[in-house]
Amino acid sequence: MRRALPYLAAVLATVLLAGTSSWGGDDAVAGDFLDGRQLRLMAPAAPGGGWDQTSREMQTALRDMVGRTEVYNVAGAGGTIGLSQFERYHGDATQLMVMGFVMLGAIESNDSPVTLAETTPIARLTTDYEVIVVPAKSSVRGLPDLVERMRRNLGSVSFAGGSAGGAEQILTGLIADAIGEDPAGVNYVAHSGGGEALATLLSGRATAGLSGVSELEGQIKAGTVRPLAVSSTERLPSLPGVPTLKEAGVDVELANWRGVVAPAGIRPADERALEDLMVRMTQSAAWRETLQRRGWGDATLTGPAFDGFLGEEQKTVQDVLVKMGLA
Amino acid sequence: MDDLLTGFAQALTPENLIWALIGVTIGTAVGVLPGIGPALTVALLLPITFRLEPAAALIMFAGIYYGGMYGGSTTSILLNTPGESSSVATALEGNKMARAGRGAAALATAAIGSFVAGTIGTIALTAAAPLVADIAIGFGPPEYVALMAVAFVTVSAMLGPSLLRGGASLVIGATIGLIGIDTLTGQPRLTFGVPSLLDGIDVVIVVVALFALSETFAHVLEGTGRSRVEPVRGAPMLSRADFRRSWPAWLRGTALGFPIGSLPAGGAEVPTFLSYSLEKRLSKHPEEFGHGAIEGVAGPEAANNAAAAGVLVPLLTIGLPTSATAAVILTAFQSYGLQPGPQLFTESGDLVWALIASLYIGNVLLLVLNLPLVKVWARLLTIPAYGIYAGVLLFACLGTFAAGGTIADLVVLTVLGLIGLLMRQAGVPVAPAIVGLILAPLAEQQLRRALSLSDGDWTVLVSSPLTVILWLIVVMALVMPILWRLRSASRKTS
Amino acid sequence: MTEPDAPPAENDQARASLLLGLIMVLGAVVVLVDAARLRDSDDAVGPAAAPSLIGTLLGLLGGALAWQGARSGRTHAGEDRGKRRLWRLAALVVTLIAFAFVLPIFGYVLSSAALFTAAALLLGAPHPGRVVAYGWTLAAVAFLIFDRLIGLSLPAGPWGF
Repeated sequence: MRRALPYLAAVLATVLLAGTSSWGGDDAVAGDFLDGRQLRLMAPAAPGGGWDQTSREMQTALRDMVGRTEVYNVAGAGGTIGLSQFERYHGDATQLMVMGFVMLGAIESNDSPVTLAETTPIARLTTDYEVIVVPAKSSVRGLPDLVERMRRNLGSVSFAGGSAGGAEQILTGLIADAIGEDPAGVNYVAHSGGGEALATLLSGRATAGLSGVSELEGQIKAGTVRPLAVSSTERLPSLPGVPTLKEAGVDVELANWRGVVAPAGIRPADERALEDLMVRMTQSAAWRETLQRRGWGDATLTGPAFDGFLGEEQKTVQDVLVKMGLA
Repeated sequence: MDDLLTGFAQALTPENLIWALIGVTIGTAVGVLPGIGPALTVALLLPITFRLEPAAALIMFAGIYYGGMYGGSTTSILLNTPGESSSVATALEGNKMARAGRGAAALATAAIGSFVAGTIGTIALTAAAPLVADIAIGFGPPEYVALMAVAFVTVSAMLGPSLLRGGASLVIGATIGLIGIDTLTGQPRLTFGVPSLLDGIDVVIVVVALFALSETFAHVLEGTGRSRVEPVRGAPMLSRADFRRSWPAWLRGTALGFPIGSLPAGGAEVPTFLSYSLEKRLSKHPEEFGHGAIEGVAGPEAANNAAAAGVLVPLLTIGLPTSATAAVILTAFQSYGLQPGPQLFTESGDLVWALIASLYIGNVLLLVLNLPLVKVWARLLTIPAYGIYAGVLLFACLGTFAAGGTIADLVVLTVLGLIGLLMRQAGVPVAPAIVGLILAPLAEQQLRRALSLSDGDWTVLVSSPLTVILWLIVVMALVMPILWRLRSASRKTS
Repeated sequence: MTEPDAPPAENDQARASLLLGLIMVLGAVVVLVDAARLRDSDDAVGPAAAPSLIGTLLGLLGGALAWQGARSGRTHAGEDRGKRRLWRLAALVVTLIAFAFVLPIFGYVLSSAALFTAAALLLGAPHPGRVVAYGWTLAAVAFLIFDRLIGLSLPAGPWGF
């Protein structure tokens, strides 16, 4: 009997495996899309970040449309590690990857061997804007004051923000360029995430900090940091009292948008089906509720319009990174 | 106080208790597995728990969080395979104890120490969170530089008997830590054009390779695959002497873990290293260190769990997520419409107090769940080495590779495993490598950040009272041993 | 594992020290060359400072270790010992790499069970039949818990697990 025990356990385990193999797949709804195959969605970042949040919100919103979507994380290097792995799914329309503005910068500054040319852009989904803040007790009065200090001594004005080559650093470069200073001379102190950058800012060691509006909203409302300007075209409904960079006299705009791409080489019919699915998703009640809750702006854009937009953004990013000496 | 009682009333429903139990069980399971931590688990479970009541979900997450922190210690002690980088220090003495047949005692002191530290940490969180947060906020890059200096001068205790070999290990770890994109300038270092290396080599992969894989390789090479450990028969789980030696270590570990854990960039590893060094220095049995000293398990394990409570301080009071797990918990909060930050306690006090109450409950459940299991776990050691190490290999590959890794990850794992084997054969300890891997990049980043913020002015390093105090500790740590030696030398001559 | 007083073990240790030391020196060269290639920033401490320091230390300590190993090592005894075990080690490394290639094709359970079996047998396990049963059970249970229950997606073979 004792001898037979391991074999019995093995048989039992196999039975359990076979018995649970239909778990989790709401096959009924999935049937009419991509021959009922399950979608897989890569979040090219660690759990907890913006791309991870986007992927998991998509997973929830897509549930009613295509059943279970699988989300997995490939963290690191502004998404370029995920991108380099995504390449191998050439022609497979069930594979999707979340990406965004930050990935454009990372591709340039990391000299990534794989670029977005190896993907099929599907849709832009959301947008978040950057906000420039100073500690509550800072002597900096407003954006014009900050600009004045930058003109006087560029190196003495330190900016705490996210990863090198990311949206925040690009924004500081654009600002320096717009006010006639050398983008390469900006004293930007990179951190591995918005939380860390905020910690440095709150310690009072940095002149100013930059981060996504949705990340800093709580701090701004609590009064621990003072907002100087937002990077959007118009004032944001969530921060009506904060001027845009343009209003404050700096002709710069920057949207930290997020979108989704499929592998290169998928059939045009599949591409259209995926675009259609994304549009339907953004119209769903679940997605509307997500945007509201997270403070993300709706930025749905598909087809040639999205392709064109991507091209323009790539050029902007490339230009400023070269000027900053980062690419 | 009333708030806390209301919180308990909310958390202590039978249904929520079941969620808490599920949470600690899952947490312990993922904590045991190297490479799959609480962060990923909570992220995976978020969409599922969406339909639960907010209180129930938060209670389950609290269970996963503490369970994950605790789970790493079991495999550290039994298999010399830390499930998390913050359990490395526990493995040092814990595994030596297990090999000497005292696995049950090591597990028991870890379990009780975790409970004590977790509970004190939670009390501190309840009572002093805003105060601690105020101090933690004052920690900028210059303060971290000083703290890292303290860590570096005190970790010599972890280097082992030979300074050359310990130092070699430390530097090997620091070298591995260089790999990846330089945070400050965005330039890749030592990546040789391999995309998977851009983000650096995950600490967990290094831990698994140097500890578990190298040991497996060593067994193959030595042909000792059929050996097994005999537990000491008739020995009590935790003798009175064990207890007497453990409790001060638990308290000291907690005292180090909670404040450092609550620092925005403190992390859970640094206090475990400091605690180990402190215990070795204070112990009445320093000769036992390296052969299974119980203080060396009790202290770091308490520090680890106290740090877990500390991490929640900046999260709840300022809305600052300081670890991957905290970031995911933040996401969970936001899913339920909570905005962590200065107004969290006033705006959604009910849920926060329910969460804090469930942290207490989770702690108790962990102890209740694990203490009776200690003897069962310890019996795992009677499995012959071939079974244990084949199993370790299976789980190591699950955590580091099967769940979304690339072939490059597995190659890195194998190469590092072979380096670990060589280190073992050369008598070079592997634990200091983990210390170097964690401390060196932190020290480098913070130093460069501090100098960048001051625009190149080095005096920034001593620009606040806190930095001066920390540097004084550094000087003391360097001078004291020399003075002691001089004194004992003069005594001998007189 | 290493008995300090047994001559063959000491000899092994000396040889391993020599080898590790040489690898460290080699690594130091790589680190320093890589550091020299970095684009400097205008900061007081640039991106190359830490690699230069660590690389130098790596070289120095590696050199010391190698020198110590070479001095205390005698190369005659115990040469034949462990040749076969070295082959076993190589086989285990090959198994690990093979696991990476087999995983996406045959799925988690079968690949992991095979990994377990191969590792256990190389470690010297008796009763191959029982080892297979244990490996299969362990892999299946891991799959059940992490894939089916927690929702971590592990690679599945054509049969769904």
